Amino acid sequence: MKQELYDLAAWGLKEAKAAGADACRIGIDGERTVEISYRDRKPENIKEASTKSLALEIFVNGRYSVMSTSDLRRDALKDFIGRAVAQTKLLAEDPFRTLPDPKYYQGRQTIDLEQVDPAYGALTPGDRHAFVKAIEGACLETGGDKVISVTAGSTDGYGESLLMTSNGFDGYSELTYFVGNAGMTGKDEGDRRPAEYSGAVALRRRDLPKPEEIGAEAARRTLALFGAKKIKTETLPIIIENRVVSRFGDGFMQAMFGRSIQQKQSFLADKKGQKVGSDFFVLIDDPFVKGGLGSRLFDGDGIAAVKRVMIDKGVVRDFYIDWYYSRKLGGEPTTGRPSNVIVPPGKRSVAEIMKDLGRGILITGFIGGNSNSTTGDTSIGIVGQLFEKGVPVQAVSEMNIADNHLKIWQRLVEVANDPYPYGAERVPSLVFKDVVVSGA
Amino acid sequence: MKIFSRRDFLKTGAMAGAATVASPLLSRDWYALSGAEAPGYFEREFGITDEMCRRVLAEALARGGDFADLYFEHTVSNYLSLEDGKVNRAASDIALGVGIRTVKGDQVGYGFTQELGEKPMLAAAATAATIASGSGRPPGGRFSSLRLADYYPLKSLLTAVPLESKLPLVQAVNDRCFALSPLVVKVNASFADQQKRILIVTSDGVKAEDLQPRTYLTAVVVAEKSGKRERAGWNFGGRRDFSYFTPALIDELAKTAVDRTLVMFDAVQPPAGEMPVVLGPGLTGVLLHEAIGHGMEADFNRKKISTYCTMIGKKVAEPFVTIVDDGTLPNMLGSINVDDEGTPGQKTVLVDKGILTGYLQDKISAKFYGVQPTGNGRRQSYQYAPIPRMRNTYMQAGPASRADVIKAAGNGIYVQDVSNGQVKIGEGDFAFYVFQGRMIENGQLGAPIKDVNIMGNGPKMLANTIMVADDFELSQGGTGSCGKGNQSAPCGFGQPTCLIKSLTVGGTRG
Repeated sequence: MKQELYDLAAWGLKEAKAAGADACRIGIDGERTVEISYRDRKPENIKEASTKSLALEIFVNGRYSVMSTSDLRRDALKDFIGRAVAQTKLLAEDPFRTLPDPKYYQGRQTIDLEQVDPAYGALTPGDRHAFVKAIEGACLETGGDKVISVTAGSTDGYGESLLMTSNGFDGYSELTYFVGNAGMTGKDEGDRRPAEYSGAVALRRRDLPKPEEIGAEAARRTLALFGAKKIKTETLPIIIENRVVSRFGDGFMQAMFGRSIQQKQSFLADKKGQKVGSDFFVLIDDPFVKGGLGSRLFDGDGIAAVKRVMIDKGVVRDFYIDWYYSRKLGGEPTTGRPSNVIVPPGKRSVAEIMKDLGRGILITGFIGGNSNSTTGDTSIGIVGQLFEKGVPVQAVSEMNIADNHLKIWQRLVEVANDPYPYGAERVPSLVFKDVVVSGA
Repeated sequence: MKIFSRRDFLKTGAMAGAATVASPLLSRDWYALSGAEAPGYFEREFGITDEMCRRVLAEALARGGDFADLYFEHTVSNYLSLEDGKVNRAASDIALGVGIRTVKGDQVGYGFTQELGEKPMLAAAATAATIASGSGRPPGGRFSSLRLADYYPLKSLLTAVPLESKLPLVQAVNDRCFALSPLVVKVNASFADQQKRILIVTSDGVKAEDLQPRTYLTAVVVAEKSGKRERAGWNFGGRRDFSYFTPALIDELAKTAVDRTLVMFDAVQPPAGEMPVVLGPGLTGVLLHEAIGHGMEADFNRKKISTYCTMIGKKVAEPFVTIVDDGTLPNMLGSINVDDEGTPGQKTVLVDKGILTGYLQDKISAKFYGVQPTGNGRRQSYQYAPIPRMRNTYMQAGPASRADVIKAAGNGIYVQDVSNGQVKIGEGDFAFYVFQGRMIENGQLGAPIKDVNIMGNGPKMLANTIMVADDFELSQGGTGSCGKGNQSAPCGFGQPTCLIKSLTVGGTRG
């Protein structure tokens, strides 16, 4: 299959050049995936498919366009490429649109990122069904007579990807992935039917938790939401749980991209070298984590991956800047998108921190909300537990936190010791003080 | 699950607001077709015959499925964008494939292939068939082609419009925005068009074809004033052809985008807590869609995970509240001539004068409830099985005047524009981001507000809708889409001005 991708990429580049392109970059993805879900102790959905797709970026006379297709018949592709090149010539000239200087391709690491599970090929339908049945069984058992509905699922797949440019770059990568999840809806007071989920994704099957743990956790989380209500608006310390903290952090990350900065849509645009958070705020982009979901040896431009400290003790050290926006901004490129986002863990567990905080809210889920990357204003609905002296005393819902990213990260007062292992954002639970939590 | 898909990454970038489209890769015959085109597109272009479909369906039912269907898709998308004063990026995409579904009771087996040859289709059908484990039976007799209404008649195909005609459109948006205010420092404009062709063939003998257009024109403006920056945007679109984009519409788009940006310099944060909320007309129908519409999708009720599953026939709102999901509105984004499992587009009343009368049904749920499907079986693409989804969801006009509704609120907030809504189906709890609105003080509109959340509970909000005005509006946008089950689908929204007795507002002032 790998050679097939290389042959198609080389052919595509040749066709694009023949059609009049000055330069081009081609990406080809192939993927096989299997999904199974169970409900009421029988399969609810079974899905299996193989896909392949091609994306071609065309540079001609300082002009640029992108074409992509799942129709890989050579005659259809040839026609499509020819039309795309012709179309590109009609666009406005953009002197910043070029392939990267090949010097940025250099220095690529050759380490094994361990993103392929050698056992993937041996996975049988029986293995998959047994895994999902175990998740469902544990959820039903833990949920007991409070269960209205349980859905359990698994997805696994193998993907490969090739990137090739007309100025000498080629990079191939492959990975496997495994997902286990469960969702439970329970019968609470009145018409309320709280629902929660648990899930994990990993590139190596051995890195997933046991299926029984996934199922039981979904039930425990659902039961914890029983009796949820809003409390009065109050200024409190909050702990954002590790598995949902990236959703809040995304509002900050939006402002770190070259496009946001160049298009004047970033509240961080003039903050490089300045302190925007407390000393606890450290953010590292590490593309070399073994088995990491965001690990890679090169990015979408072909630029060799580098580990970078983006935020150091609250000070902005770097931005995510791809080749195009580096030219528009007049600086060096870093990379256009995050790899594994790491916040180094602290020393104490969430339980220990809760004991010391007195009264506060442990946020276990977000709902709705948004963040304005231009101003930093953010407002988001929360779900979680009000706690006092370390003990949850009331599930809360229909509540909200609102703040500004340039202010709230200054009030980051502790980082827990529990980095989330099942995502490209390996961020621990974070503790903020003096947050207005809106409710009744 | 797609992770690290370069194609998706590029597509997402290109879509920065919604769809893409491609330079047509189709035969010249196809260009010539418009309006009531001759049936048989997939047979002409890809050699898909009734006999071939019959054999594939037979394979899908080979292990005893109750029902099977084929969903062929050929979607061509194009996208143009302007940045820093130049239309300097184009993107094109072609999606081609067939999804094959086998249904056994409420169980679904699904396979798809991007190659429209019989061999790969039979393989995908064999995958779908594994949901059952009995003996097969062949599909019925002849396929009967559905005669469908046309809710989006086109004078010409969007993909037949030359690029040279689209470029000035996008450039004009940029130029108009800059001309409107010296405070404008950046403009992003984009134009997208899409032609989605589908063919549905079912084991119970239905055959339906449709050509679903989609287009939009957007403007996003950044302005600077006294060291502060603000950003806002607007868009127009729907299931329309190119003639929709007149100079007057471009003027309106630019003016709306600039006005919405400049007003934000004067915005204040409302106090946090519970207060009366007035929802303005049009786009705030998104809130209705999320907070109430999703809970009325039949699959959530069949599984008893929606808070509305015990409320059919019960009073859920005041008598002046009627809520409709309608696939038949001309040129609206959520309109469909046929849904993605072969049921004609139609209008479905969900709440009739305050009484919950029905759910949004796909075929599986309709069979469970013993009712007819309502034409809400929709999917993102051939890669997904259909599920109950909304089309254009709206509340009908009520008896009050807009001025009386605002006056009755006393002190609260007026919501003009919401986004990023989310609902928890079982609890009914929802949260929405208020992009723009106004304070209401002593029954009068006051200072602008922005960037706050409102939270509430769907059934409670419905019951607490205490006034509905007579100024019903449908959103004229072309970028609206709804997410469910990792799938997105274009949807329309609408609403008159209405007063909610109390919702929680998430400000920063305690």
